[in-house]
Amino acid sequence: MNSVSKRPSRLIGVALLLLSSLIFSITPALGQDAHPLAGQSIQMSVLGIGGWLPSSLGAQMANDLFVGYAQENYGYDVSFTFTESPFESLFQRAAASLATQSDEFNIIISDSQWLGALATPGWIVDIDELIANGLPDLGIAPQPGLDLELFSDVARSTYQVFPDGSDEIWGLPQEGDVQVLFVRTDIVNNPDEMAAFEAANGFAIPSTFEEWDALTMTQFELIAGHFTRPDQDLYGIAMQHSIVYDFYSMQLYPFMWSLGGQAWDPVTRTMVGVLDTPVNAQAMEWNRRMLNYTPPGALNMGIGENVDAFVQGKVATALQWAAVGLSMVTDENRDVVAIVPPPAFTREDGTIVRIYSMGGQPWVLNAFNPADKMRVAVDFLNWWYLPETQLEFARRGGNPTDAATLNNPEFDSINPWNRAYKFMLQNERAQDFWHEPNYSEMLALQQEVFTAYAAGEYNDALAVLNYVACQQQEILFNNGRTEVAPPDECEDAEPR
Amino acid sequence: MTQAKLTTPARLPELAVPPMTPLRRFTMRLTRIADDARFLPALLITPVLLFFIIWNVIPTMWMIGLSFYQYQITMPDTLNFLGIENYTDIIRDRAMWQGLSRTFIWVFFGVGVQTILGMVLGYLFWGSKDMPGRRLALTLLFTPMIVTPVAAGLFFRLIYEPTFGILNWFTKAVFGQELLLLQSPELAFWAVLFVDIWMWTPFMILITLAALASVPKAEMEAAEIDRLSWFDRIRFIILPHSKFVLMLGILLRTIDSFKTLDLVYLMAVPGTTTKLIAVLLREQAFEALNVGWSSALAIILLLTAIAFTSIYLYILNLNSKAKAKETAA
Repeated sequence: MNSVSKRPSRLIGVALLLLSSLIFSITPALGQDAHPLAGQSIQMSVLGIGGWLPSSLGAQMANDLFVGYAQENYGYDVSFTFTESPFESLFQRAAASLATQSDEFNIIISDSQWLGALATPGWIVDIDELIANGLPDLGIAPQPGLDLELFSDVARSTYQVFPDGSDEIWGLPQEGDVQVLFVRTDIVNNPDEMAAFEAANGFAIPSTFEEWDALTMTQFELIAGHFTRPDQDLYGIAMQHSIVYDFYSMQLYPFMWSLGGQAWDPVTRTMVGVLDTPVNAQAMEWNRRMLNYTPPGALNMGIGENVDAFVQGKVATALQWAAVGLSMVTDENRDVVAIVPPPAFTREDGTIVRIYSMGGQPWVLNAFNPADKMRVAVDFLNWWYLPETQLEFARRGGNPTDAATLNNPEFDSINPWNRAYKFMLQNERAQDFWHEPNYSEMLALQQEVFTAYAAGEYNDALAVLNYVACQQQEILFNNGRTEVAPPDECEDAEPR
Repeated sequence: MTQAKLTTPARLPELAVPPMTPLRRFTMRLTRIADDARFLPALLITPVLLFFIIWNVIPTMWMIGLSFYQYQITMPDTLNFLGIENYTDIIRDRAMWQGLSRTFIWVFFGVGVQTILGMVLGYLFWGSKDMPGRRLALTLLFTPMIVTPVAAGLFFRLIYEPTFGILNWFTKAVFGQELLLLQSPELAFWAVLFVDIWMWTPFMILITLAALASVPKAEMEAAEIDRLSWFDRIRFIILPHSKFVLMLGILLRTIDSFKTLDLVYLMAVPGTTTKLIAVLLREQAFEALNVGWSSALAIILLLTAIAFTSIYLYILNLNSKAKAKETAA
């Protein structure tokens, strides 16, 4: 009798349990609104830099991971197409499309210096507005999740801010990047070479991260000179002196900044008297002198050529972007490559400083996106900055910039360049330059004249700087970007 | 005699005449106009004219209009009417004059060498009709002309490459000396011009062969009988007959060479030594997105190209004018 009387109560218990679990599982779904795009299929288009792994990695992760995430969490199907264009023509490609108010590219991986050119005509979404008020016209709520806590202020000023020095943000970091020194330890730290070098120069070639950190450019020049042996097809360093895009400028500015010079005054937007200074002229001369230690043809060396020279063992060291770490560190050389801070410079007052160029790119959102694509783009960005996504990005070879990921104890050991990357991504060690709407024009001008100086077409560094400063001042003034007119002396400015 | 039996012809079935609707009347009128000899030429030329107006005249007018404005795509608030200020600014611009002078040197030496080489090789090919493998040799000779400037630029950039380029390998092996052509401010211009000459000499060979085809056989045979020297044959028979086609080739090459951009851009020579005028135009139009200024420069270049054409046509017509004067006298 007892067993019979127990059976109904057991059944009721099981039924209640099932019912309660059903209620609990349904309640959250009832409590939140279904995503407005649930059940729909959306095709997104991303424009990024051709042949640049961090760019393609973003689009690749979108298709690999976000697609499933969106299906699971928002209930819509999405796929991403990735359009590539080389560094030097991507802006033109984006501008030509955006100028016609097209939504051909929903998300664009822009270069940091283009923020001004993209924001001024209203082509991209004001991220401040998106965070604080959303995009009410498109039915998109405020996005506080996009108010990011980045690892350093320099990351924020580089990838997000326009105008320079303001608090207005227009982009969100996609890939962080800094310049680091790649060292072939099999060449540089060969015991015989080290002994010979020390005997000749009175100091040892660094072999640890800390020792490289303490190295000055004057000392490094001796190391580069020691390993420059054209008869053995070996050279001290690979740099980027090419006229293409910003290559030359990016490796000239560190010499200027580290020695105490400036590219411009970002507050008054003054060039003349800021760029054309003796200290910057000294930096230019020094930078040109480095061609003594680079492989022949260094004036045509860009990022790719730099990678080739290093991987083929033609150079002992390479000043290169951390973002191309995956190409620099191959299966063959993995055990003989050290990635360390680039050399510091001794200023006239005796202080030792290193300030190198910031690389990397932000995401920007096309302001002409229709509501559905804008919503997916915002969902995607919210997903992109989830800690697990950023960590996965790092695991795949990308360089995140958010504080949580970089402060994660695991981060330093994920990639061989991560320690140096984090070390250089500090306010006092890295810097970006003008995010002006006339960036392209100003850049093309200085690339041409600076490389002419490097090639020996001109030989007076101060005159070259004065000419560039005058021309850039005129560009800014003529376009209403500064109240500082080029001085009368600029009439006679001429590179020589 | 039998009398032929006369039969009445069978009545033809009545044709169904469509009613004269307004549409039919209209189409009939159109057909009549089309058949009219006065209207037919105009009708035939209309599609071409429409195409020309839509794709040439309107954009050119638009560009002329823009050239009077300060207009930069990334600075939409700065749309200002400037009058001729863009033009005066260009005329005062040192970079423009430097670019233009480089372009003239480029055109002069480029087209000059291509013409001389093209004529010499063309005459040689013309005079060697029985040479075995002539057709294959001609095909191979024309290959550079078919290659796109982008491919040719890349090709030569690799040849000139100091680390693994074949040219440096050769100069190092033979002379023990590196030849850094694209890095040298003195040599870079000529190294890039060489590529242009390599690409376009075959075109002048082709033009020369076409020109020589217009030389009457009888006159050549007469010259042979009279034992005229080759120089005299060229001077008195070949050149007068082939002059027009040759000048046309030179004109086409001049206009094309004046616009050279892709090759120079791709070779990425440091500094300004290869900054031709088209490079400056590209820089202003597509990097600075300075639409007003670059439109003005494009107009100036268009006028320069028209001036070139006029000069060539004038020279070409000089002889016929002189002949006409002689006849009239």
